[in-house]
Amino acid sequence: MVQTPDLPKTKLPPSTHEFAEVIHRLEAGGSMLPDTPENLMQIIGLYKAYAVPMDFYWRDLLYIAEQVFLDPFPFFKFFISQEYLDRENHYAGDNADLRIWRGIGSAHPELLAFIEKGETGKIPKLLHHLLHDRINMEFAEECMRSMLWHRKMYCPVNQFDPYLDSDEYKANADRAIKAYFQGNPVMQGLYKLFPDMFLEQCRQMSYYANLGLFWEVMAPVFFEMSDIYDEGGFKGVPDAMDFLVNGIFAIAGRPIYHHVYIRGECYEIIPKSKGFTWLYEAALPYVEAVFYRTSPFRGTKSYNAQAAQVPDKQKDFHYGILYADVFPVGTAGIPPTLLMQDMLHFLPQYLVDYYKQYCRGEEDMLIQLGISFQRSMYNVTSAVIQALRTALLYPLDDPNPKHLQANREFFEAQLSRFTREEYGMRDAARLSYVQSQDYR
Amino acid sequence: MPHAPLPIPPIPSMLSVLIWAPIIGAAAIAFLPGGENQPSRVRLGAATIAFFTLLWNLFLLLKFDITNPGMQLTEYLPWNETLGLGYQLGADGLSMVMLVLNSFLTWIAIYCSSKDTERPRLFYSLILFISGGVAGAFAAQNLLLFFLFYELELIPFYLLISIWGGEKRSYAAIKFLIYTAVSGALIFASFLGMVWLSGGTSFAYDTLTTQTLSTTLQIVLLSGIIVAFGIKIPLIPFHTWLPDAYVEASAPIAILLGGVLAKLGTYGILRFGLQLFPEAWAIVAPSLAMWGATSAMYGAVTAIAQKDIKRMVAYSSIGHMGYILVAAAAATPLALVGGVAQMFSHGIILAILFHLVGVVENKVGTRELDKLNGLMSPIRGLPLISALLVLGGMASAGIPGMTGFIAEFIVFQGSFSAFPIPTILCIVATGLTAVYFVILLNRTCFGKLNNRLAYYPKVVWSEKMPALILTAVVIFLGVQPTWLVRWSETSTTAMVATIPSVEKIASTPVAMK
Repeated sequence: MVQTPDLPKTKLPPSTHEFAEVIHRLEAGGSMLPDTPENLMQIIGLYKAYAVPMDFYWRDLLYIAEQVFLDPFPFFKFFISQEYLDRENHYAGDNADLRIWRGIGSAHPELLAFIEKGETGKIPKLLHHLLHDRINMEFAEECMRSMLWHRKMYCPVNQFDPYLDSDEYKANADRAIKAYFQGNPVMQGLYKLFPDMFLEQCRQMSYYANLGLFWEVMAPVFFEMSDIYDEGGFKGVPDAMDFLVNGIFAIAGRPIYHHVYIRGECYEIIPKSKGFTWLYEAALPYVEAVFYRTSPFRGTKSYNAQAAQVPDKQKDFHYGILYADVFPVGTAGIPPTLLMQDMLHFLPQYLVDYYKQYCRGEEDMLIQLGISFQRSMYNVTSAVIQALRTALLYPLDDPNPKHLQANREFFEAQLSRFTREEYGMRDAARLSYVQSQDYR
Repeated sequence: MPHAPLPIPPIPSMLSVLIWAPIIGAAAIAFLPGGENQPSRVRLGAATIAFFTLLWNLFLLLKFDITNPGMQLTEYLPWNETLGLGYQLGADGLSMVMLVLNSFLTWIAIYCSSKDTERPRLFYSLILFISGGVAGAFAAQNLLLFFLFYELELIPFYLLISIWGGEKRSYAAIKFLIYTAVSGALIFASFLGMVWLSGGTSFAYDTLTTQTLSTTLQIVLLSGIIVAFGIKIPLIPFHTWLPDAYVEASAPIAILLGGVLAKLGTYGILRFGLQLFPEAWAIVAPSLAMWGATSAMYGAVTAIAQKDIKRMVAYSSIGHMGYILVAAAAATPLALVGGVAQMFSHGIILAILFHLVGVVENKVGTRELDKLNGLMSPIRGLPLISALLVLGGMASAGIPGMTGFIAEFIVFQGSFSAFPIPTILCIVATGLTAVYFVILLNRTCFGKLNNRLAYYPKVVWSEKMPALILTAVVIFLGVQPTWLVRWSETSTTAMVATIPSVEKIASTPVAMK
């Protein structure tokens, strides 16, 4: 049963927006996702299943950004070093610089067990890799590329992206590139011939670092949410969303940087001193790029750009998880099958039992969990919307009706993104779908 | 030194088993205690009887001497000598292939029926009863006996459509009943004409002297036969019962209607038209060839316009049956071999298609082209069913490597020398088959699943198996075509040898016009 949170004392007339019910829920401190026990169970279970591979994603993203860097043949970039598996999370674990979350600092035990055995058992790591019996980093790279490709998001608040075009960045990158290819005349020659290509690769590496640092925070958040749920701590979806909002503000100032380690020496391509922060330079662009936009993916449907099925402007792209068609599984894209496959390995038992009761049971669990993932990301997006509202607008219980009206206009503007008719955005948006429990 | 063939010891009642095993089985099932509440038990019983009949048929196939063009495995029991009616059975290459098709598709039809069929005892009894009746018609060596067996399936089919059919089942069943009754009346009249006008007293095939009749009388009687069996095939314009009956019937019944019953029509035309009236046949052959080609084109073009996939398959059946008439009209040895091969091939391909369309309808809840989409989707769709549907479409369109290609190629190769224009029209119709199957497959299997609606139940193995078995046969006969044509080759060659005038007329410039 949907529970509507308490409305603020000062009342506005009901919204006439198409998603008025959702807007009223947001105004009452709720989420875009209806507050039902089933939804809470699904989103928390998925956060846990997502957190385990994410614990690998962030480590490997940083490993690639910092160690693999511009290797022209990065065949073993997913073969993360033990050092990065043991690397302590900056915000969780006993050795954290700033312990905010309670989990352990090194790689999660379930992750380590899976890396060792996978589905096929103890076989050489290379075979695990070739059989795709591993954490599929391709998904993480797809997210990173989305952020790289949809540049200039949230500018000028987001200063990370313009910095990548600055002379200072180019000079830092130049130093690192020359150091990296020291003693390699072929690559040095190529760098002289095609400097922009190398620079662009370097920018990509900076986004590897950006996303790695972003997820370093999110993984322990999701682990802790799962633990709290297991302890009976969350009473409803709004509680889970509030936890995320509080987490966002607790960690908002975390520095975003890009360091490269070449022969033991650290090259600061983006130094911490630039003051780039987690919320504005990583979280907001990530949500925009990955949840909303991404790129048309190869599903069973082909997009025809000449028939105007693909938007002219990148800001109109709508292929993210909030719009994703989870049904055609087996293709690339967001959320790609690979992520679902990753999460499938770490589902909590209560969710496995739940999925067995519906649709085709175990046979289509991949899709069922994909849809739960979609629900959980609507909740994360709700947290971001509420966080933005907190940062930029007014409290939900503000006594001033004008302030409440401003809040409403903000919420309506956010939800109107899901009602646009252009390029089939309205049909693609899953907001109306996730309002019903029957969407599985 | 070549060995002399071993003499086959005469075993009485070998063919009778094919008739009476299903009929006795039908009676046993009809009175099975407690069967009404246990449909899966009744289904298993019926499938066992059908499978035994199939095995027996295969055993007979081993006993069948393919070098002997005459009737084999003959049986005779005097029945009513005054009426000229005797229980006289026998099988040549043509009958043998049809008997195997009948028992095979009966088993497949029972196998692909729902485990929860309502009133199962009546349902499966009727199917077995039909199987026995059709086997009797294919094996009968007496016109009256053929007629009795031919009429035997009328009421069971009527009941099967009107009780277990779709929304418009009553309308479809009545239409089927009227058309088939008219067909039966015409057959009966023609048979009486054959015997009475030729001054005979017996209805036994081997005593008929229809060739002694005047050409005009032969043409009149042949016309009756062609129209009567043309309704059954069906040929345009006698086809209007077919789309309704095929579409409204449940999948197993549609398989029997299209796979077996329609073959009674083409069998009748070959047996009682071509074989009994060779002179008249030679005269009407050019018109028949054009009629067949028109049917083929009509079926194909109409199929393209359909929005219901079952109706599309039904019209495709009209088109493919047209090829058989062209082959029969050409009456060259090769064309007749091709015609018989096409009868078998069409039966099994149609069975696959109807079964798969039935599964799709059962799972998705619609047959509408505009609503179906994305069934190839690997997890939530029906991927294996879609893949087999693609294969069935390819087989029907005559893609090499499958039995459809072999049969159609032989038909075209054999008919072209006699009737080039109708043959070319049939080849065009084959091309159009590919068109409507591409439309069907493109809209049904490809594209996107509808996220709001696509919660289809999964396909269980018992639903996949009939299609897999049929697919195996389609591919086996496609790569090993000898097994398709060897049974009928001697008989059809002998059939042509007795009517030299057909070839002569068919190859004259007149026929080429």
